[in-house]
Amino acid sequence: MRWSPLARSECRKVVTSKGTWILTVFIVLWGFRPTYAGWDAVGRNLTVGYVQIGVSLFLPVGALLLSYQSLIGERTTGSLKFLLGLPLTRTQVLWAKVTGRTLGIGAAIVVATFVLAVIGLLNHGMFDMLPFVGTLLATLVFVSVLVAIGICISTVTHRTVTAATTIFGYVLVTLFWSQIVTTIYTAVTGVPVDPYDAPASGPLFLALRLTPDGAYNVLTNWFLGVGNSTELFHIVYTKLAPGVSVNAFVVEAAFGGPGPWYLHPVGSILVLLVWLAVPLGLARRVFTRGDAI
Amino acid sequence: MTDVDTAINVDGLTKQYGDVRVVESLNLTVKQGETYGFLGPNGAGKSTTIGLLLDYLRPTSGTMRVLGRDPRTEVVEVHERVGILPDRYGLYTDRSARQHVALVVETKGGSDDPKALLERVGLGDAVDQNAGTFSAGMEQRLALAMALVGEPELLILDEPFSGLDPHGVRLVREIVAEEAERGAAIFFSSHVLGQVELVCDRIGILHNGRLVAEGTLRELRDGAEVVADATMEDIFVELTDARVDEGGDKR
Repeated sequence: MRWSPLARSECRKVVTSKGTWILTVFIVLWGFRPTYAGWDAVGRNLTVGYVQIGVSLFLPVGALLLSYQSLIGERTTGSLKFLLGLPLTRTQVLWAKVTGRTLGIGAAIVVATFVLAVIGLLNHGMFDMLPFVGTLLATLVFVSVLVAIGICISTVTHRTVTAATTIFGYVLVTLFWSQIVTTIYTAVTGVPVDPYDAPASGPLFLALRLTPDGAYNVLTNWFLGVGNSTELFHIVYTKLAPGVSVNAFVVEAAFGGPGPWYLHPVGSILVLLVWLAVPLGLARRVFTRGDAI
Repeated sequence: MTDVDTAINVDGLTKQYGDVRVVESLNLTVKQGETYGFLGPNGAGKSTTIGLLLDYLRPTSGTMRVLGRDPRTEVVEVHERVGILPDRYGLYTDRSARQHVALVVETKGGSDDPKALLERVGLGDAVDQNAGTFSAGMEQRLALAMALVGEPELLILDEPFSGLDPHGVRLVREIVAEEAERGAAIFFSSHVLGQVELVCDRIGILHNGRLVAEGTLRELRDGAEVVADATMEDIFVELTDARVDEGGDKR
């Protein structure tokens, strides 16, 4: 493929960046969280849970920070003129950037996952391979989604400060997504939402899992077999434990069963794919139309 | 003249930003194997024209053919046969000169030796040096090495003498002569009028987005109402000064 040298170059740039390895260290240090709740929830698969914990907090911010300058930075410094002078279409330039950065950040995440796996193996013994592989694959898809979002922001904005502000806005919205959703839900339906005793509303639970972060947690909780929720695995387990009250939205707790079909965890794959396709499509549309510099 | 005979063929090219026409109804032809100097005062529209030829920018109206192809719809086919030295570019400060050239070689699917190309532009001692440590002149030499990858049929050089010391200027002039000797067409913009005079077969002068004069040095001299032994600088000043009042400043 003609664009593969550029993709390799992008990958090398990410892999040789200090930020990438700081992200890796943060994921490992934050992820390794041996708790009784975690052990009670998934036993030896607590090791897999470490990956979910570390990735959920640090990967979104880290991957976006490692991607948002990829195009606007080159436009600002003028190096984009060299890239656009290569025998590549603008779509191929964009594709090479997404692929290269995904592979670079993905490689760092694989390292973090395997470090956590070794730590978990030594501490708790052998874990199940199915949830481990499933979580690793979901994490890599999550990486590609975040890179696509970062590069989309980098493409559609014209100033670095605007791109950085947009990233900050995205992080804030996803961080407070459940509050945003419940506020809107209450305003529209007039039904107050108590997270300790959430209403059995399909649309409410569907909206909660529409962010990439929420979809990732739903998917990995499914692999871990703890329950259907956008919360971290040990919180889901605690919520479903008898006699415990926690402010978490868990499908089984609200519906007393699996809930409507569209809340099945498999749907989260579709959510992630939409988050991959829409930013890429938007970035391509903007980058291939009009002036590129 | 057919597409086969022309390296660049521009017809009625216009680029407008808001109400400002940066390039206006430009007609231009550069023949195969020709060295064409594209001159003009600051803001005349030279870099914009080059940006349009390379598909960095999209025209408001008009048509272009580069090596017989439309750079907008056939950018891959055009760029694999064209060597590009842009103006106001930036290098990757965390990569070596070799890595810069290698990226172009690999993308073009060529077999050029990056070291040999860097030696040709006088960077033989800095092949593995980080481009972030380069002086302006070294950066320009590296950019030229990248443009030379794959023995292009057409070299588009935007201000190739920029940032170069007299040795560098001479080197660029020699390389332009060598490439022309090889049969490549060369289209370059420059402010260094003395060098243009030395290397160009034909010269076009752009002013306020319009081509105000075009021809050999002799033809320009004849048309500019200057003395018989006038230099390129005399001709340039005469042609562009005479038209200052005809329009406002443009990019």
